[in-house]
Amino acid sequence: MRALGRTWAGAWAEVWANRRGFWFQVSVMIVNDVIWIVFWYLFFDRVGEVRGWDIDDLIILFAILTTSAGVVLGGMANVRRLSALAIDGGLDAVLTLPTATLPHLLVRRVETPSIGDLLFGIVLFVVLGDPTPTRVLVFLFGVVCAVMILLGFLVAIGSLGFFVGRNEGSDLGFHALLLFSSYPVDVFGGAVKVFLYTVVPAGFVTSVPAQLVADPDPAMTAAVAAVAAGVLAFGWFTFRTGLRRYTSGAGWTAA
Amino acid sequence: MSEERGVRPYRRAIATEAARELASPSGLAVAGVFYLMVTAVLSGLWATAASANGGEIVGYSATALVWYIATAEAATVSLPLRLIEEVGDDIASGRVTSELLRPISVLPMRIAVRIGAFLPRLAVCVVGGVGFAWLIGGSPPDALALALAAPSLLLAVGISLVAQHAFAGMAFWIADAKGAWFLWSKLVFVLGGMLLPLEVLPDTMATVAKALPFMAMAYAPARLASGHVEPWLLLVQVFWLVVACWVSSSVFRAGERRLVQEGA
Repeated sequence: MRALGRTWAGAWAEVWANRRGFWFQVSVMIVNDVIWIVFWYLFFDRVGEVRGWDIDDLIILFAILTTSAGVVLGGMANVRRLSALAIDGGLDAVLTLPTATLPHLLVRRVETPSIGDLLFGIVLFVVLGDPTPTRVLVFLFGVVCAVMILLGFLVAIGSLGFFVGRNEGSDLGFHALLLFSSYPVDVFGGAVKVFLYTVVPAGFVTSVPAQLVADPDPAMTAAVAAVAAGVLAFGWFTFRTGLRRYTSGAGWTAA
Repeated sequence: MSEERGVRPYRRAIATEAARELASPSGLAVAGVFYLMVTAVLSGLWATAASANGGEIVGYSATALVWYIATAEAATVSLPLRLIEEVGDDIASGRVTSELLRPISVLPMRIAVRIGAFLPRLAVCVVGGVGFAWLIGGSPPDALALALAAPSLLLAVGISLVAQHAFAGMAFWIADAKGAWFLWSKLVFVLGGMLLPLEVLPDTMATVAKALPFMAMAYAPARLASGHVEPWLLLVQVFWLVVACWVSSSVFRAGERRLVQEGA
């Protein structure tokens, strides 16, 4: 654990070394997020409520999404490179280390722009999310579950690179999860909705936790926790299984 | 004859790049699926909103909104999202400097290569988009307007391509255009009408947005495809294409001069 902590601290120090660049990229991402919120304000101002969702629900959904995406894509940025590392034989150096491979890989790299997401999500909830003690607790619970689902899903699709080689589906899966998580799942109907609760579990990343913040429900809370644990375990299992098929790239990289 | 020689390298570049893109069907398939996903999400959102508002929003029916979104997305998704960053990296890393050694203009050749790359993607998006819009939204609201949307869509992608090169040209001076694409894409998303018809914006904001070049990159073809017979939109697009060409060539000329004077 200490080794992982030190590695993560090193990754943070790396991005922090260029402070001007750090704050520029963080600011750009925050502006990006603000524009999304402006879009949603314009949308709901014009159309009113849509299938039970209004701007307040959307604020919570967006706060959960940006905070959890900030943690995963910012703090564990290598999760998006797993497939490339697996295919290009880029894991050689990591495999020699006396630490668990996946956790080390994940904390090895920090991506600055996504830190902007993390900061924005927290501030958004604090300023516009009506943060009563209960809502703060449920929000934190929702963020933790969303982080577990995002992480597990991205590790699983990234690990497909071990099995299928060239893996363009990994990028597609990433975009699909983030895209569908950005919208209330109730906008969709029928088969698409089933798809978003199963194959691409976007409904559990943001919509269900956002509904829990507005209206806590013990049964649904347990269901979300179970799904999060299941997806994370699936990601871990896929990586472990895939790693057995890994072949060296005869290259020595820092991953 | 000399003009023929002058244009030939660019034609070859377009053909070569298009052939390269076509040689990677899986890449095209991924681009097509991504396009359909985005289109499905946004058109689902707007169609739901329209049905919750008596079947119409700011003069757009649910069908018109599906055609609007399918067209606006095709105009945007046909080009790489991070084009500005890629061009900026090429400038900052010195790749553009090596291109100066060739007996051919840097900017037109770069544009030609990108045209070759986007044409197959655009074709995939158009085929997928028309199929999707017809299936989900129904037949196009107006055949003449849809016919006008075809050249408008080409102009939209062309303006976007040239204008992004002009924007990325800032890397000649600041050496790092990373992150700038975020801002650009969001300007196109909202002020360009990619996420929403500009009529949804508050009146003053809509007026400003319609006076900016971003509207020529998504709103114009989408407005036509959604059944509004407004041929003057094509003239506006031609105007913005001329402006974008002038600005980008000025930026690249000045940037290249700077590289030659100071060294890379």
